[in-house]
Amino acid sequence: MVNKDKILVVDGVSKEYPGRSAVTDISFEVTKGSIHGFLGPNGAGKSTTMKMIAGLIPSTSGTITLHGEKVDPLNLELKNAVGFLPENPPLYMDMKVEDYLKYVARLHGMKNISQQTEKVMTELSLLEVRKRLIGNLSKGFKQRVGLAQAIIYEAPFLILDEPTNGLDPQTVFELREFIKRLSLEKTILFSSHVLSEVEQICDHITIIHNGRIRATGDLHEIHRKFKQGLVITLGIAIDETMPDLSRFGNYHTTHVTDLGGERQYHVVFEDDKDCRAEVGRFLISEGFHLYTMQVESPELEDIFLHLTEQKT
Amino acid sequence: MIWSIWKKEIQSYFSSPLAYVLIGLFSLITGVMFFNLLVTYSDGIQALPPEMSQQVSFVEEVVLRLFANINFLFLFFIPLITMKLFSEERRLDTLDLYWLSPVREWQLVIAKGLAAFFLIVAMLFVTILYPLIIWGIGLKDFSLLSTAYLSVLLNASCYISLGLFFSSLSGNQIIAALLSILGVMFLWMITWGGHLNSNYMVAEIFTYIGITSHFERILRGLIGTQDIIYYLSFLFLFSVLTVKSLGRRNW
Repeated sequence: MVNKDKILVVDGVSKEYPGRSAVTDISFEVTKGSIHGFLGPNGAGKSTTMKMIAGLIPSTSGTITLHGEKVDPLNLELKNAVGFLPENPPLYMDMKVEDYLKYVARLHGMKNISQQTEKVMTELSLLEVRKRLIGNLSKGFKQRVGLAQAIIYEAPFLILDEPTNGLDPQTVFELREFIKRLSLEKTILFSSHVLSEVEQICDHITIIHNGRIRATGDLHEIHRKFKQGLVITLGIAIDETMPDLSRFGNYHTTHVTDLGGERQYHVVFEDDKDCRAEVGRFLISEGFHLYTMQVESPELEDIFLHLTEQKT
Repeated sequence: MIWSIWKKEIQSYFSSPLAYVLIGLFSLITGVMFFNLLVTYSDGIQALPPEMSQQVSFVEEVVLRLFANINFLFLFFIPLITMKLFSEERRLDTLDLYWLSPVREWQLVIAKGLAAFFLIVAMLFVTILYPLIIWGIGLKDFSLLSTAYLSVLLNASCYISLGLFFSSLSGNQIIAALLSILGVMFLWMITWGGHLNSNYMVAEIFTYIGITSHFERILRGLIGTQDIIYYLSFLFLFSVLTVKSLGRRNW
């Protein structure tokens, strides 16, 4: 039975290329009206999955259902139902911004082309560059034009592949705000490797690594599910080596950050019993220079690193 | 849909210097050719005794040669026009724009083919001056000139469909252009192969597959059904091959 709340259902999808497998048996769902974050390190299979959902490439096995219809590169019915901003937006460098957007609208069989182009250019602050060649625009403006081509034909489902990647902070902020506004009327699948960004704007996430899904669902549920006990940041001098802390319980170190002369270890104890005082006393008694001792709430970054460091 | 893509392609041609350079170069070369043919013809006539000079045909020596030369020029000009049509889009990932829209592959192939054909018509339009001169000389044969134009246009459309196919195969424009040049040369060479073969059936088949015999017949105004079938099936075959090579399922 088709669940009407699930706008997208990816079910057991694999994509094989000669000699390698890009994604293996992935399944996840996107709920109507949500911003769904799609996370994974480079080469995890994010772009391949997004291209399959957008109907650009076929899957080797499994099914993708969008609006209750099976996605297939040859299914032209769904073409106006999905807007896609690929990592490398399909822009004609020798066209003017306005002409390009009108052209895209025409390809999708829009009726009120001028009105719609005007609206999208206004929303994405493109009016000042409307008569300029796309090839002469800055990266930020090119990305806005790329986003404009994805939304101009008013598809109810948007796929945005790293839309803020490599942009200046001001443009990132503006685009992020724009995407949040878009989510009021559209469902968005959004990939990024900026985890703080995903935490800010997404309500659901899927984590993919080495072509396999590691976790998927509501962001808060994932936080709960992967709550890893007590997470402490311990900072000692950079030339010192963190001693074994297993006397305080089972633990693992997710990542290490250097801050000047200090090296911070992000340590996760499986048991969430507060053992800070004992750890602090132990480190000082062993002669370590303890600069930082802070309890962290498990962040998406910890969950992400924990999940993507697992062996396949 | 085809109209929108066609218009965009034409704008793209004329927004870069390539179209102007090609049209300029083509008019220059055909102009020099026409002048040379006229001079050679009139010099030849004057050198011959009056009773023999009547046997030298102006149509054969100037008009037909001019159009045969135009056909030769297409060997280089058409691959330059068609090379970027798909290979550049493939390299820049802009074909995704079409695969994300309800445009069908055949619509894209026809629109791009017609745009390249329009550029060829624009190039040939400049040569209309020469028939006017011929007209002025006194050769008022409209049907001769129209079949001559028809013959080069038909050949051009075949070379375009071949060029489009090779452009769809490679993301590299230079490779696409080289393959198209080789493809056109091969079409000519098949006919020569037919002339050299002693087996009648093989020779006939080779001659039919090669483009030259059809071109020469139409150039001389002898349009036959077999020629029309040849051109139509050629265009159809290479358009289908291009559609298949672009195929969304190929990726």
